[in-house]
Amino acid sequence: MTTEMDTATFAELGRLPGPPTRERVPVDPITMRVLTGAFRATAQEMAGVLFRMSYSSIIRESEDLGCGLFDHEGREICESESTPMHIGSLPWYIRGFMRRLKGKIREGDVIIHNHPYHGASHTPDIAVAVPVFFEGELLGFSAVTAHVLDVGGSFPGVNADAFDVYAEGKLYDGLRLYQGGELNEDLDRHLFENVRTEDMNRGDMNAMIASCELGRRRMVELCARYGVDTVMSSAYDLMDYSERMLRQEIEKLPDGEYTAPTAWLDDDARNRDVRLRVETKVIVEGGDISIDLTGSNAEVPTGYNVPYEGSLLVGAYFAIRTILLDEATFPEYVPQNEGVFRPVKVIAPKGTIFNPNFPRACFSRFCQVQRVVDNTILALADVLPEKVTAGNSAHVNFCSYSGFLEEQQQYWIYLEVNEGSYGGRFGKDGMDSVDNLMANTRNNPIEELDMRFPIRNEQYELRPEPAAPGRWRGGLGIVRRNRFLVDGTYSSEGDRHTDPPRGILGGWDGLTASLVKNPDGEAPEELPAKVTGAPFAAGELLQILGPNAAGYGNPLDRPPGDVREDVLDDFTSIELARDAYGVVIEPGTLEVDGPATEKLRAELRGRHADGNGSLIDHVSSNPSERRPNPISAASERAFSE
Amino acid sequence: MKRIGVDVGGTFTDLIYASDEDQRILVHKTPTTPQDPSVATLTGVEELCRMAETEPASVDQVFHGTTIATNIVVEHNGAKVGMITTEGYRDILHIARHKKPLNFSNYQDLPWQRYPIVRRRYRLTVPERVLADGSVLVPLDEDAVRDAARRLKEEGCEAVAVCLLFSFVNPEHETKVRSILEEEFPEAYLSVSSEVLPQYREYERFSTVALNAYVGPKVARYVDRLDGGLRERGVRAGLHLMTSASGVATPQGAVERPVNLLMSGPIAGVVGGIWAGRQAGFDNVITLDVGGTSADIGLAQRGELRMKHLLDTRVGPYQAMIPMVDVDTIGAGGGSVAYVDAGGMFHVGPRSAGADPGPASYDRGGTEPTATDAMVELGRIPPDNFLGGNMDLRPELAHEAMERLGQKLDMSAEKAAAGALAVLVAGMVQSIEENSVRKGYDPRDFALVAGGGAGPMFAAEVGREVGTPKVVVPRYPGIMAAVGLLATDMVYEYVRTYYDLVSTLDRGRLQEQFAELEEEALTQLREDGLSEDRMVVERVIDCRYVGQGYELRVNAESGEIDDAWLRKLAAAFHDAHEREYSRRFEENDIQIVNVRVRGVGLMEELRLPEIEAGDARPDDAAHHGKREVWFHVDGELKKVECDFYDRELLRAGNKIQGPAVLTQFDTTIVVPPGLDAEVDGSGNVVIDCTGGEAAGVIEAAAEKAEAGGA
Repeated sequence: MTTEMDTATFAELGRLPGPPTRERVPVDPITMRVLTGAFRATAQEMAGVLFRMSYSSIIRESEDLGCGLFDHEGREICESESTPMHIGSLPWYIRGFMRRLKGKIREGDVIIHNHPYHGASHTPDIAVAVPVFFEGELLGFSAVTAHVLDVGGSFPGVNADAFDVYAEGKLYDGLRLYQGGELNEDLDRHLFENVRTEDMNRGDMNAMIASCELGRRRMVELCARYGVDTVMSSAYDLMDYSERMLRQEIEKLPDGEYTAPTAWLDDDARNRDVRLRVETKVIVEGGDISIDLTGSNAEVPTGYNVPYEGSLLVGAYFAIRTILLDEATFPEYVPQNEGVFRPVKVIAPKGTIFNPNFPRACFSRFCQVQRVVDNTILALADVLPEKVTAGNSAHVNFCSYSGFLEEQQQYWIYLEVNEGSYGGRFGKDGMDSVDNLMANTRNNPIEELDMRFPIRNEQYELRPEPAAPGRWRGGLGIVRRNRFLVDGTYSSEGDRHTDPPRGILGGWDGLTASLVKNPDGEAPEELPAKVTGAPFAAGELLQILGPNAAGYGNPLDRPPGDVREDVLDDFTSIELARDAYGVVIEPGTLEVDGPATEKLRAELRGRHADGNGSLIDHVSSNPSERRPNPISAASERAFSE
Repeated sequence: MKRIGVDVGGTFTDLIYASDEDQRILVHKTPTTPQDPSVATLTGVEELCRMAETEPASVDQVFHGTTIATNIVVEHNGAKVGMITTEGYRDILHIARHKKPLNFSNYQDLPWQRYPIVRRRYRLTVPERVLADGSVLVPLDEDAVRDAARRLKEEGCEAVAVCLLFSFVNPEHETKVRSILEEEFPEAYLSVSSEVLPQYREYERFSTVALNAYVGPKVARYVDRLDGGLRERGVRAGLHLMTSASGVATPQGAVERPVNLLMSGPIAGVVGGIWAGRQAGFDNVITLDVGGTSADIGLAQRGELRMKHLLDTRVGPYQAMIPMVDVDTIGAGGGSVAYVDAGGMFHVGPRSAGADPGPASYDRGGTEPTATDAMVELGRIPPDNFLGGNMDLRPELAHEAMERLGQKLDMSAEKAAAGALAVLVAGMVQSIEENSVRKGYDPRDFALVAGGGAGPMFAAEVGREVGTPKVVVPRYPGIMAAVGLLATDMVYEYVRTYYDLVSTLDRGRLQEQFAELEEEALTQLREDGLSEDRMVVERVIDCRYVGQGYELRVNAESGEIDDAWLRKLAAAFHDAHEREYSRRFEENDIQIVNVRVRGVGLMEELRLPEIEAGDARPDDAAHHGKREVWFHVDGELKKVECDFYDRELLRAGNKIQGPAVLTQFDTTIVVPPGLDAEVDGSGNVVIDCTGGEAAGVIEAAAEKAEAGGA
């Protein structure tokens, strides 16, 4: 009976600890402002140490990491402004390992955790936590998560198609690498000798521990200077402040249920022809908001399930905060902490891809969470037209290039996060070629890639097809070409090869993503978005296209001058200017033909008042001019000799 | 040695003359000539020399800080730039690092996309590709380069950025592109990535090089005119420009790499503020330098400049991978225009009336109300004593302008004026908090040093809001940046990318690298006329553990590179790593990435003569009577009786009770009701901000903090 109750509660709330019970003292406004700044700066400083000191490019260049301070029950005091997928997951990691370690934490411990059924975001995002003691009291933890290159799963780097959670990587469930300041040497060997990239993982682990130590020291210094009661009271008051700010915005929404159109994920990484359903309903009740995913697909037998606490909840927090407290437009600075989590609930029935049963694998969860965020935005399009975007790329193309160097008896692994684009927005075009929604990593410099790995990049620019038309156009995705210079394997988790970003309020749908092996060869091979351990021979090439996001509003309302600018910059074509925007541009002079435009616009308005048309159809009947890529051609020649 | 410091601000050009031999210091100020700022600079130098009764030809050096490069970027009126880049990589500047500035925002702008330095239509690609080892995979298609050069010329571009992949390893293709451009498009300003910034990471390099092209033509014209003008007047060592790292650039260096001048002006202000703070006995300072157009905010703990991390160095929103002192600039100054927008929103700045037409009360054709007009309207700037009496203000014009503004806001002229100042102060407070509190510095440990023509007008209110216990208004606040130019040693830095491992180091080659750079540095210092005992040459090495991606700067010993030298270098690096990241890994090998040589010309410490001591009560001669001035008292805008003083006549030890206004040649110091000020031995006015309402909160907080911490 109790167990069932717990499961039901857990399914909707996660292991929430309830309100903090530490007694608070009043804090004057100036000290409060100082401490708010100090928390924020500490988290940033921790992130700076982690990415500058680390070895793997996924941490160092991409900044796929999160750092922060938390209380003893995992309540978030502050977190670094790194990639949002990490922000808000650490509370669940801490609650996950505390279920085992409560009462056993000592000064000088270093705790390692990555168990996706106990709060982790997914296995390769390893958390390191160091307890913060002040005058004998366990105040909380200084903790970081970072994506490590390899966690010893069945395939190097990425494991979208894993048999179960044991096959996707090694599980670390609240292990103490240091106990009371003393290194557990056997555990150390076990940790690093069971992954393919021992040196890199070691270097990164050192950086993670250094980052935690810095956070711990800063927190202790604050307590010594301002008094522990003042510091902790400020932390809790700030959570209340952030909560208040978010609730005020939720309360402005009319109570009710807002439903997004059904979204479809490509497949589960193994059963290729079966698309997966995502249903999203946003429920507003006073100052509370829930995202209800009931009706979404049943869990899948591969690694394409989503850890409920460490990933799905994080996505929901992100979606609501970003829509209602947009940092660019909301006038106040609202600190990122536990407070912005409190008004948000998520309903995801047990046994669906969003709340799988142990021991289902859940290595690849990013794209599904992105679609939940995108759906949440789309669901609110009618009620918040000035705060939503048209359909986003809402994917990520996360891939692993790897191989084994016989001479050195060593693996090399290169992880790459390929970006998407944003849908058009009220008053603004969508952002091009940028990490979308919950992704916010940095790309790896090409000059870094070519210097360090047996990979050659041969193209990285905006894809050639036009942007999705709208009063405000959608963002453009990228085209990227990487060639293996030695034999190796490629794995990826991606999506969006079948279901394009959705236009709103008359804007057009965008374009899907694609992966093509050897695109210039005699037999180009179209790959699915999720690939596990695909062999690539030395000299073989991969072409990656990111989605073009959708347009916002009727393209016939876009000022002709703006359309002309788009033509000059190749963001759209003369043909699409005519067909979608009803703007006639003289090919010779590239000037707008005013009268012809007026006439055409009137005609098109009569034909389809909603403005909508199909970009995919347009692109296939107006293929863009393809110049042969000179770098690829030279590489092909070199490899065929 | 005789030195002149010239800082060109948006509104005024400030000058300072220092003669080390007879310990003389003179200051001067002249309106900036925005069409060609070198005109005011040259006139100012001549005027200052007349004041000093000396010939320009006897001046050894002119140090110059300029916002010209920064303003071009901020006002977005740089050159029309074209780019020639590797085919397949047209959009490196558009994609940037594919990371958003803000995590939680769907409505943010990506500035590099919304306001591109090089528009996509002018980014032309040419077939070519150099590989990571420097070998050539695709030879340069010279015909394509020629076509691109012609097209950019036809399109009317003024500058061309040449940005090819891996040019920092093998610059041949870029060199070839340069020579084709010189043939086809000789009038273009060229910015070639392997020359401007031969360092890896293509986005950061391309962005820096594009910015260099963007500011290049204007800066080059300016520097040429200025240096030529000074040389005509016989100034011996010619012009020295302050760089963004608070080092020095020669005119030639500045023309080739104007990107290094970005942020030059504001940094001199911080250096001047640190110096002034030290004179007044404060090592921890927040500097607030407010000119006509903008306010620059800096922070120095224990007198040390903070440098930005190389990946955080931006100008406006644009990445510029150059060493840069950490300074923040906001669009708030004495000339900031107060206006109501179409949507009914009230703004003050960032638009500025500058020096020309200037504030309405200048009567030079400006009709829009500015912050200065607000001060005049409230009675805080006496109209008859502006610029030491060299310029009369017309308060009725300020009043008319404020009245027009008030009508739109449905309030009286004086309320509109007070409102405009409140908005301006709030912006400064917010920015100072970003740079102090939000970075974990407690303003209660700092003094606020207020400079610029407009800083002292707002400083006490800003200080009270931010929570700094003291505000220091230096002896010459209006020329803080100019003072900064002379208050620092002359530092040239020479850098070269040089990869090697400490374990297997080619000692001879490293020795050679250093020797060459050291010779360059010494030649430059000799050219500057420094005696040998004033020259210091230092070695710096950027290194990291093998496998890491970011380097740390480590000071290296001079002398021969032997085992002991290497041991010291390794130890210094391990220490630096531990200091930065709290861990060291002595078993790991160390990789050298860049070698640097700093040529330092030691300058005489700038010293102001002590001012005469007086009583607590200022001399009657200094008191210029009482007038009615509008202030907020008990939350209400009221006319109160206010003392006016001539600052030049105040003595050390004089105490002043607010409300008071202290006027001097180039600024006006406002001491609001409830606050006190005192004049120190160096002539600084130190305002105590712990009086009044806000102060009660600060003291309570401090007491509580002490009680809690004990």
